[in-house]
Amino acid sequence: MAVTAESLKELEKKQAWWWIAEKKRSRRLDYLRKAVWKKGAIGGLYPAGLIVDLERPVLQTEKARELESSADPYVIKFAKILAHVLDNKTIFITDHSQLVGYLGSTPNTITWDPSLASILNHEVINDPQCLPEPLDDSLRTIKDIVNYWAGKSDLDKILPYMDLDDSMKILSGAIGWGVPLARGGYSGKDYEYIMTGKRAFEDIIAELDRRIDDAYAKAHEPSASKEISNLYDKINNWEAMKITLEAGIRYAKRYARLARIIAENFETDPARREELLKIARTCEHVPAKPPRDLQESLQYDLFIQLFSRNEAIEGAWPARPDYYHGPYYEKDVNVDRVLTEEEALDLVGEFLIRAYEVSQYKPKWSREGLQGIEGTWVWTLGGVKPDGSDACNGMTIALLKAARLVRVSNPTFAFRWHPKVSDEVMRECFECIRQGLGYPSMRNDPVLVANAMHWHGHPIEEARTWVHQACMSPAPTTKHGFQPMRMANATANTAKIIEYVFTSGYDNIVNMQIGAETPPVETFKSYEEFFQAWVTQMKHVFSLVVRPVNRGRMLAPTLTPRPFLSAVSERSVESGLDVNDPSISRGNAWITAFTWVENIDSLAAVKKLVFDEKKYTLAELKEALANNWEGREEMRLDFVRNAPKWGNDDDYVDSIMLDCLREAAKFSRELKCPSGNSWPILPENVSGNIHYANVVGALPNGRRLGDALYDGGISPGPGLDKKGPTAVLNSCAKIDHITHGRAFLLNQRLSPTQMAGEKGYQLCKAYMKTWADLGIDHVQFNCVSDETLRAAQRDPEKYPELIVRVAGYSAHFVDISRKTQDNIIQRTVQGLA
Amino acid sequence: MPTCKECKKFFPLEEDPKKGDCVQRVVDPRQAFYQAKPVEADRNAASCPSFEKR
Ligand code: SF4
Repeated sequence: MAVTAESLKELEKKQAWWWIAEKKRSRRLDYLRKAVWKKGAIGGLYPAGLIVDLERPVLQTEKARELESSADPYVIKFAKILAHVLDNKTIFITDHSQLVGYLGSTPNTITWDPSLASILNHEVINDPQCLPEPLDDSLRTIKDIVNYWAGKSDLDKILPYMDLDDSMKILSGAIGWGVPLARGGYSGKDYEYIMTGKRAFEDIIAELDRRIDDAYAKAHEPSASKEISNLYDKINNWEAMKITLEAGIRYAKRYARLARIIAENFETDPARREELLKIARTCEHVPAKPPRDLQESLQYDLFIQLFSRNEAIEGAWPARPDYYHGPYYEKDVNVDRVLTEEEALDLVGEFLIRAYEVSQYKPKWSREGLQGIEGTWVWTLGGVKPDGSDACNGMTIALLKAARLVRVSNPTFAFRWHPKVSDEVMRECFECIRQGLGYPSMRNDPVLVANAMHWHGHPIEEARTWVHQACMSPAPTTKHGFQPMRMANATANTAKIIEYVFTSGYDNIVNMQIGAETPPVETFKSYEEFFQAWVTQMKHVFSLVVRPVNRGRMLAPTLTPRPFLSAVSERSVESGLDVNDPSISRGNAWITAFTWVENIDSLAAVKKLVFDEKKYTLAELKEALANNWEGREEMRLDFVRNAPKWGNDDDYVDSIMLDCLREAAKFSRELKCPSGNSWPILPENVSGNIHYANVVGALPNGRRLGDALYDGGISPGPGLDKKGPTAVLNSCAKIDHITHGRAFLLNQRLSPTQMAGEKGYQLCKAYMKTWADLGIDHVQFNCVSDETLRAAQRDPEKYPELIVRVAGYSAHFVDISRKTQDNIIQRTVQGLA
Repeated sequence: MPTCKECKKFFPLEEDPKKGDCVQRVVDPRQAFYQAKPVEADRNAASCPSFEKR
């Protein structure tokens, strides 16, 4: 079909946004978008055609063997291994691309770091479909690698120093997920140090040299002290940082050389030759020196992200691309006019694609929990500058436009809404939502800035730099405010709290005593007593997920250092301490509370049907739950239908939400991170509501073992919000979004028909105004009709690019499990009045 | 015995001609690209299926 205004209108009427994108984008973007190998796992398995890259683990292992007899301290050896990988890995430049760099040796590879955890290595060797052919050769190589790293990997080294009891409970998979590894989780970055154009790698190397020289001189003065002893460690850390930065510069120069070789020996098209020479000039300049234009700025950022992922397995991508690349966009497009808007869109769109293709081999629990994507790469847009003025710029709009053209499911955006955002920018956000991307999610900036100050004491100027450290949690990008690692296992499957009240803490799914040994539930005489048991279980569960993370963080600087991340962090360059050293961090920890709202609806059901109406006894309910409601369907339906449910502006149940949050918030202040700061909770799910369906037993809200759990952090249960969107907002607004927790995820579904045209925008704007006025910190939308979703279930091959918002992330609808698909369809479509 | 330096795909480093890159064109099911892998000039190329005499 030729691209005419009529044909586009026709497609728009059908809401076939993915075909519209294909027709509207440039030939380059179309090629690059179709060229990318999708990496997100489907049903826990990587898509066909992907292979585990063995080049990197072979390089790591050969260098580690070579260094075994060297006298270098561990941090230097680690840096040298990283440098060896960057110096020797295969690199490639895709046709039509302008940005370069990938973790693996070919575009269809998933990289594997064998130095992280033996349990991960065993998953690789048992992988059913991604091992390269010939299989016998691969297995021989993998076996050698797995054997070498046994006992030497990070987790193997850390576990003996952890509390065995806590570790076993975490590893049971019932209560939380993840492992307390400082090289496996969500790494914040000190963007204010590295991305503001004031310095780049050569400047930092010069600074490191100065510090090493000074320290060396001081260490050899006629004196002796603890400080002098500490200098030896600092010198090692600085040396290691320097090794990684120098390797990064060499790595970029390898791309420059390849681009020149292609231009001078193979390329016949003069325009492409010129592009290749521009790539060469770019990679000769960055990351050694600060960027001078948009292409260099994007390339510089991409290199930093890739180096960091060469050093650690990063499940998130905290970023603020409009803020940090915006000045280069403005200069190139509006001041110097060396790029047209379309040319800039090509670069921005490709930047999204380069991020989309990044992949690291992850454990199965993580792949199942993050269906269809590689990690929670939620990029932050909008917001304010440190002085409080609007931070939106031309790059904000370019990113929102590019997202609609390339329609990747990862990264997604979250938009920091504030009262000064222009109508032009809001319309661009709305277009993305209306076109079914599921992003940007909307964040209430004034509320979240205040929240960052309340919970972690970030000064206002620092709080205003915040980015999403993963799906939801704000973290500053400043010297002391950024958090270098948030370990995934500070994630609690909180539906277990209410479950354990009925089992006195015994977990019948994994057959272990995990919760607190509270008295038998049938002995509670009042709702207050029952609720106190819930509080006890809550404290027990939260402590359990937090302690190993604290311990892992304390051990990190010596056992699992991060010299590259340290090298791009002002506090480490200045102090000579590893970036994970808690003494140089203000602390920005949070507990992700999966499956939270089940607690509220369950407590309300018990209060009403057991204590108020006395229709059932706790003993009866305990037995019904133990039997998964079998033979008690009528009773179960009573608990579903006749107990009040969260999200209907009903104070009976909404006050229970507040009681639970107040108790959790109080306890958050008692839980301390190694930097001495608090551990507030953050209710949300990724697709934990599906992952945990078979891990959480029957609950008093009428849920059976195996049923999907609720999808949001404070979203009502699917289909249980009967009173419309205002009632949902009113319930959510009863929560204090500053003091009750770190953030609260709210999913909403909107009707695409209602969102059409100017009227749709005005409706959405009015909804957003109510949302903002009520002080709610988050909301995200699915705007795809049931009809389209059901059609995609029937004919998935016709809807390969259909995107939906799952939880804190978006995914292609066809890449998520049937259960998750059904769960999204079940969510109530809110008609806006 | 043929070596990499006799191969069309070998591009020596200016600063150290004993080392270089093996640069090849690859077309996979989704995309086409050029790849470079560090190799030694004197590496035995006898068993390399991609060897092309200069
Ligand atoms: S193709 Fe083979 S022989 Fe030629 S440079 Fe590459 S590795 Fe050496």
